[in-house]
Amino acid sequence: MESRPLVVVGAGIAGTAAAIEAARAGVQVTLVDENPVSMSTMGLDVPLFFGERIEPALSNRAVMLGRVIAANHATAEAASAGVDVRIGTWVWGAFRNSDTSRLLDGPQLGLADDRQSWMVKYDRLIVAAGARDLGMPFLGSDLAGAMGANGAHSLISLYQGLTSQRMVILGSGNLGLNTARMALTSGVEVAAVVDAAPAVGGSGALVSELRNLGVEFYTSHTVKEAAGAEGEVESVVLVEVDADNEPVGGSEKVFAADTVCLAIGLVPNIELLSLLGCDLTFKSELGGFVPDHDEWMRTTVDNVYAAGDAAGFHDGMVLDPDIARNQGRLAGIAAAESLGAIDSAEARARASDIRALTEVRPTEVHSGWRRWLESLVNAGGPGVHVCRCEEVTCAELIGLQPPRYLNWTSEQMSRRNLQTHVKDGPVNPNHVKRLTRVGTGHCQGRLCREQVSMLVAGESGTDVADLPMMTYRPPVRPLPLKIMWPHDETEQVRTEWPKWFYPPGKVLG
Amino acid sequence: MLPLDRADVVVIGAGVSGLSTAWYLARAGKNVVVVDKGMIGGEASGRNGGMISERVDEPDLIPMAVESLELWKTLDDDLGYPTEFIHQGRLQVAVTEEEMGDLYSERDVAMRHGISVEVVDTAEIRDMIPGISDRVLGGTFFANGGHANPQRTVQAYAWAFQDLGGEIYQNTAVTGFRVAGGRVSAIETTAGVIETDVVVAAAGPQTGLLAEMVGAHVPVAPARVEILATAPLPPLFDIALVGNGLYGRQAARGNLLFGGGPHEWIDVDLTGEPGKPNTPLIRNIARRLAEMIPGVAEVPVIRSWGGVVEQCPDYMPIIDVLDSPSNYVVMTASAHGFGLTPATGKVVSDLSGLRLGRFAEVKPGWREERGWVAVS
Repeated sequence: MESRPLVVVGAGIAGTAAAIEAARAGVQVTLVDENPVSMSTMGLDVPLFFGERIEPALSNRAVMLGRVIAANHATAEAASAGVDVRIGTWVWGAFRNSDTSRLLDGPQLGLADDRQSWMVKYDRLIVAAGARDLGMPFLGSDLAGAMGANGAHSLISLYQGLTSQRMVILGSGNLGLNTARMALTSGVEVAAVVDAAPAVGGSGALVSELRNLGVEFYTSHTVKEAAGAEGEVESVVLVEVDADNEPVGGSEKVFAADTVCLAIGLVPNIELLSLLGCDLTFKSELGGFVPDHDEWMRTTVDNVYAAGDAAGFHDGMVLDPDIARNQGRLAGIAAAESLGAIDSAEARARASDIRALTEVRPTEVHSGWRRWLESLVNAGGPGVHVCRCEEVTCAELIGLQPPRYLNWTSEQMSRRNLQTHVKDGPVNPNHVKRLTRVGTGHCQGRLCREQVSMLVAGESGTDVADLPMMTYRPPVRPLPLKIMWPHDETEQVRTEWPKWFYPPGKVLG
Repeated sequence: MLPLDRADVVVIGAGVSGLSTAWYLARAGKNVVVVDKGMIGGEASGRNGGMISERVDEPDLIPMAVESLELWKTLDDDLGYPTEFIHQGRLQVAVTEEEMGDLYSERDVAMRHGISVEVVDTAEIRDMIPGISDRVLGGTFFANGGHANPQRTVQAYAWAFQDLGGEIYQNTAVTGFRVAGGRVSAIETTAGVIETDVVVAAAGPQTGLLAEMVGAHVPVAPARVEILATAPLPPLFDIALVGNGLYGRQAARGNLLFGGGPHEWIDVDLTGEPGKPNTPLIRNIARRLAEMIPGVAEVPVIRSWGGVVEQCPDYMPIIDVLDSPSNYVVMTASAHGFGLTPATGKVVSDLSGLRLGRFAEVKPGWREERGWVAVS
């Protein structure tokens, strides 16, 4: 099995900065990034909510590779610093020994490209896996043209292949404002920037800039529906909401648009950190469950570091890339010191300019997310899909109903719902997932986890911070059987494979 | 403080075995409390493969397994909630001549016990499992086999039990037993004390540790095993499938769920939730599934999970009452509890072949002797 001194996952701002710092300190660094992902993966809205507004030319792998390589100058810089850069390579699993799993030959990652998978051992690991788009339920969220801000950013800046013409943007924080600015710069019209809150959330200077460019803001508004024929968004219906998040009758406004972009929030990509058993704490101001880490970005698991959006995202990071960059640099320097490439004095010296930067104090986001969620469910009705993959509606979730394909009704079942479930014992979203199938689809819960937790918290009168996390399981990217297939399978595993405890003593390492 | 501090029966373990027992007891008019250190079906009961068979692999279990299958047929209606029981048979396929020989031997055992079984050829197998490999040499088909959704089943038992007035205390670990005059008078839990006439310990891997607390030796060894799930596919097959070192099924939703391969012996404790990480073994499982059914090789794996099961030295269940304390019932199913659940719940005590006394010669330290120990 291949073994690397330092693997950095994610070639965004933080990951690239980490890789370059460590390489400059003399460490052999492997920087892995999943972009470009394949068109079929994009079509599943993995890893980001791409919304199928993707230029068909990108189905040519060579075109896609060329654009991604050309767009990411930082990876070129990393490569010239001596970093082993592997693009188009995703990390689908992370494994290490624990009390109940003791047979691994050291901590390792599962990697894959579009042809095969393999395992790589690491001495040090920096997870800079970024953040994913926060999903929200509205009528038409499953149409082509419904997408997320990070999906749009990626299609614009990395793939140069966003085919949207006219966009309605949901969310007026810096994430939404920046999305509007990016869209305008790349020639996409912005029909409206919308917020369920009564006031615009993001930078005043950016709001002025956008207003001067003719962008209209609709506060205290929500989406009633995104509509269109043949599976495509063609129009977006907004409606005003009152102080109770209820739609105001007769206030509907129809916008011609082929895209509705969710830019309400981002959620840290903690899958790998969770698989490795890093301690995670719910911090609303950082987007939900985030890894505990020290000032050098060390997590609670030995030799594992987190940096950038994956370590916690807040809206201030949209306009200040130095936050993620500095976290990456700290992790890279700390990993280099830990590997003995530099001593602690040298590490402190290299980080000296970072310490001088003042920290931003972010505020909680879930009350704003809840406002959006309530307004969308109130405006769209209880039939809006919370889980798009499994087509679970808000009403079915709250009713704790078995999936429709079972076609099951009984007098007993009709007396059960999320409210009665709460009385049965401590509420757990993982339990709700089993019964309703929310979060069990091909997007692996990327777009519904937060909705589910907030709805469950709301119904149970629980603070969302107090709910157990919905678990992550490998593979954290959908991986075809033929790619997961281990070409490196050992002869022993091949020939001595036990059949359900027979032979009973057989344990293959 | 617990809402109820006295019960006719306290069942330890809110898994399928415990809840099935509790349901039958409640139907008989007993006042029953179920306690669990975690959530309903949180361990093996909600994590197993959902296979239901006549247990021809262990002929002593055939009567109970056949009885279970009879009960499965009406279980949804009896409980009032869906289990996703699908009763379309079980196909076992061989990819080597040696495996084919094993299938023939098992066929003979089945026939001796009056079990309906037929040897099927490759053409018949291809009709049953579209896309199956040309490497499959043949198989055996048991018409009276099937599968169900473990998570829905364990919840169905829990709800049906509650509908009869039963109480389930989740996140409530047992911390001790009060024993007087050779009988348990009460159990002590993290949430309070419950007086009881009878204790049923259906605690899976923890069954041995609980028995130690009352001075009894119930030999069980916990082990961790793994399963994976693919994205949903259109309906391909509705029979339970065993072959190429795997067992599994296509769920009602369309996902292929397959597990198998090496297990790892582990240790558990009485209060914490044992970790159930997956390992790179899921790649080997993926390969074996793609080898067996090449027609699905393109479908993505979207999830995997692990579970902790327990094994007795002879892989058979224990359903028995301790000599002392004499009101303490042990129920453990050696990693085959799910399919047998309806019958094990019904038959709480006297299946003579399964009495604990057969392990009288098994001494402490047996796990070390067998090599069934967690790697330190």
